[in-house]
Amino acid sequence: MKYLALILVLIAFASCRKVIDVDLNEANPATVIEANYTAEDSTIRVFITETSNFFSGDSEPTVDDAVVTITDQAGNSQLVPFISEGGYVLENYIPAYGTTYTMTVLSDGVTYTASCEMHTLIPQLGILYDYIEPGPFSGDGGYGVAVSYNDPAAAGDFTSVLISKNGYQMSGLNDITLSDDQLTNGNLVIRPLFVEIFDLGDTVEIELRTIDEKIYRYYNELISLTDPNSAAPANPDYQWENRALGYFSAYPSSRQSVIIQ
Amino acid sequence: MKYLSTLILFLLVSSSFAQEYTISGTMKDSTNGEDLFGGSVIVKGLSNVGATANSYGFYSLTLEQGSYTLMYRSSGFETKEVAIKLTKNMSLDIELSLPNDLQELEGVEVTGVKGNDNITSSGMNVTKFSPKDIETIPVIFGEKDIMKTLQLTPGVKTAGEGNSGFFVRGGGADQNLVLLDEAVVYNASHLLGFFSVFNSDAVKDVALYKSGIPAEYGGRASSVMDVKMKDGNSKNFGVSGGLGLISSRLAIEGPIVKNKGSFILSGRRSYLDLFLKLSKDDNIKNTSLYFYDLNAKANYKISKKDRIFLSGYFGRDNFGFGDVFGFDWGNATGTVRYNRIMSDKLFSNTSVIFSNYDYRFTIGTGDDSFGVNSSIQDWNVKQDFSLFANNNNTIKFGFNGMHHTFKPGALTGGNESFNELILDSRYGVEIGAYVQNEQKIGPRINVMYGLRYSGFDLVGGKSYEFDKNGDATSETDHDRWEKIEYHQGLEPRFSLSYVITENNSIKLGYNRNFQYLHQLSNSTTSSPTDVWVPSSNNIKPQIGDQIAIGYYQNLKKNKFRISTEIYYKALQNQIDYRNGANLLLNNQVEGELVYGDGKAYGLELLLEKKKGKLTGWISYTLSRSLRQFDDINEGNVFSARQDRIHDVAVVLMYKITKNLALAGTFIYYTGDAVTFPSGKYEIGGNVIPLYTERNGYRMPDYHRADLGLTWYLKDKNRFEHNLNFSIYNLYARQNAYTIAFEENAETGETQAIQTALFKMVPSITYNFKIK
Repeated sequence: MKYLALILVLIAFASCRKVIDVDLNEANPATVIEANYTAEDSTIRVFITETSNFFSGDSEPTVDDAVVTITDQAGNSQLVPFISEGGYVLENYIPAYGTTYTMTVLSDGVTYTASCEMHTLIPQLGILYDYIEPGPFSGDGGYGVAVSYNDPAAAGDFTSVLISKNGYQMSGLNDITLSDDQLTNGNLVIRPLFVEIFDLGDTVEIELRTIDEKIYRYYNELISLTDPNSAAPANPDYQWENRALGYFSAYPSSRQSVIIQ
Repeated sequence: MKYLSTLILFLLVSSSFAQEYTISGTMKDSTNGEDLFGGSVIVKGLSNVGATANSYGFYSLTLEQGSYTLMYRSSGFETKEVAIKLTKNMSLDIELSLPNDLQELEGVEVTGVKGNDNITSSGMNVTKFSPKDIETIPVIFGEKDIMKTLQLTPGVKTAGEGNSGFFVRGGGADQNLVLLDEAVVYNASHLLGFFSVFNSDAVKDVALYKSGIPAEYGGRASSVMDVKMKDGNSKNFGVSGGLGLISSRLAIEGPIVKNKGSFILSGRRSYLDLFLKLSKDDNIKNTSLYFYDLNAKANYKISKKDRIFLSGYFGRDNFGFGDVFGFDWGNATGTVRYNRIMSDKLFSNTSVIFSNYDYRFTIGTGDDSFGVNSSIQDWNVKQDFSLFANNNNTIKFGFNGMHHTFKPGALTGGNESFNELILDSRYGVEIGAYVQNEQKIGPRINVMYGLRYSGFDLVGGKSYEFDKNGDATSETDHDRWEKIEYHQGLEPRFSLSYVITENNSIKLGYNRNFQYLHQLSNSTTSSPTDVWVPSSNNIKPQIGDQIAIGYYQNLKKNKFRISTEIYYKALQNQIDYRNGANLLLNNQVEGELVYGDGKAYGLELLLEKKKGKLTGWISYTLSRSLRQFDDINEGNVFSARQDRIHDVAVVLMYKITKNLALAGTFIYYTGDAVTFPSGKYEIGGNVIPLYTERNGYRMPDYHRADLGLTWYLKDKNRFEHNLNFSIYNLYARQNAYTIAFEENAETGETQAIQTALFKMVPSITYNFKIK
């Protein structure tokens, strides 16, 4: 629908855009915790910041004095040490697939808690690519890529796909392809990635993450915030107890790359 | 039903025992034989004695034996006086004519004679238009649109720039019952709302009920918009049409058998895509984008007492790009009606009504192509009676049963990666029964009271139960006619008018409405994919209660009319969505919904000038519309999007000469409620807006002026034609359509970017009529 509205507006009626002044309130600063546990390198990376004024040009203030701990399903806790500028990193933390991890962040007297299951990896089978004629979604034409994998037989698998182009990680929200298995459960999935058109000679690296449903929903909510036609945008549901913004995601990744030729 | 018959009996015998006779018949337009809905007959010299014709033009008046002068009148027509000697029951069909040209030339009457019906009628003010009334009012692309004219009246708010969608008295866009010849129109707009589905060539008139809604209508919480199609000229064949900037129209009408039956066929098609073909850009060139409408109606008088009507509408929008993808949607409706004059006091109408709305997507070609489609379909059987019991009581009663089939969506085709997904069909049976009496109590008081019973039975398909997070906890299969949930309610309707003098009156109205069908939409623009869902074990019916009071004053021999109305509306079981709700292709869509209440209140002022060279109106609305949901905005009350506090519209039509008419409109309203961020943070290097409050900000104020000039070219015999020039947004005001926050690529600063849709849009339309 976004495309339809966009095309209608762009083609049929020459719309006009201009920068205007909008007077926005200043919200009280809130804690933002972005925590990832990547099985691929057995590393936990946590980044803690605070919210800032909407039009402020400065980078977000960091929180450097939090106490971050990770607890496995058996109840063993370990500290995630502070490194620098809001960053807390724990290396060589070996994942147990199919188990749930709980992270606790103590900051300014408030304890924030979130847990996430480390799912079993869904391996990529390979990258497919095909030439696409020039068109409304492919500009001057080029190569579109697709990722393929076998969706596990049980329902309820969620994936996100990220692309690197010539070594450059595309990390915008609209560069992420999220999938559930509602339509593909148990199938050989060939998922086209409508994110970027490639040229001959480009190196394409695809990372397929097996993510938890909570994270799938969280990213869907984040992406919906980028739609200007959304009638009532709202913060994504809180992932952290005691209402810190951000999320805690534990995931395995399968990575492959190909040169378009 | 026992009470009903007792009531009728009581009313029949309570009239005096003097010898009485009835005069009854049909009121028609003399030029084309169309029925005059809303016409009335009064007895000269007797105050508050008369009858109002029903929607098929039928009237019945019972008087003591004697001689009378009857005055037949209807909005826009000359009053006709008929002297009768009533010594037995009589039948008298009446034809009213338009005011003659002589008077018009002298500038005495422009919109025709209309008395003080607005003062004396019992119902709260009904907003009523015919396409003829509004033909000079300028509109975008010159496309005459009755829905857009309604938006210029108090209490009716447009859904957005150029949009035909509307909100009535703070209610939601899905709370308006939109009827076309009794059939529900589920999506009344074309091209994302820029045009309504009502082709003005095919429309006889439209009535909008904002409060004191008559008991014969049910199914939506806020308002009723009743559109009637033309019956077709029963005297002469005629062709009319128009050539516009983006669409053309053609209509053919004529008698089947002179004065016994007539037909009308009317079509419209837009041709925006033909211009796209001229583009050098391949992307634009291969884009198809059009809509069309077909209206057809026929009626035939089988005997003096029996008449049948057939009417149908079919319209579709089509949007596509080469064979890469296609998207089309539209409504189809059909109505078969049988009128019977059972006696000189009792009129019956039986209708069988069909309505369908669907949309389809197809994406790709060959083996990989896949499609999505969704539909809602109704079959409705309806029986209505009007009983002209005596001069003081007009009783309407009836019942209906409607079967709904919801097919929320199916995804088919695609490569072997995809399983087909066919969402569960759902079925509902909606029933209604009503009785209503319009009663005159003495010379000053008119009262209308009625009661409607409505019920909705969700049957068959699957049902789900959800926990408080919206996750399904159970799933149950049901047989095709097995009951899942039955909802029901009593809907009292009441209105009263007290005529102070013949120039002023006070009116009071109350109505309760149940709504069993709900439209889900989480976008600011109306979308063809907005899906309708039935009330169920999870979704309760929406209930609207409204009380309104008004004061009406006519000045200078009814030349000016002033009306003031205030209202308070309470809305229960309103629907909103969880964050990131997935409303498409979701079997468990009910789990995405949250429920709350709403209230709306306001003051509406209207000053109208109905006679003279200069006619028009000024409308002002001061109103609020608020919502409260436990799961939204931390449970705090927030403004509905349409909480537009001040809303002004000025409409002026000036007849310069016999051949030139100038019209202008000016609109000003304060901004809609909108949600803006109050802070930001970063996730994965992306700036994410932080929200603290739902709809806590306001869009900038909106204002715009439009100008239109209609030039009536010289008539030749039976050929009339005119040229209409119009300019939309005369002073090219850039009104905000959306405000988005984007990062400036060069400076890295976040900016607010306002998008305006239309600057100045001039257009020209040629209209003709061969009679």
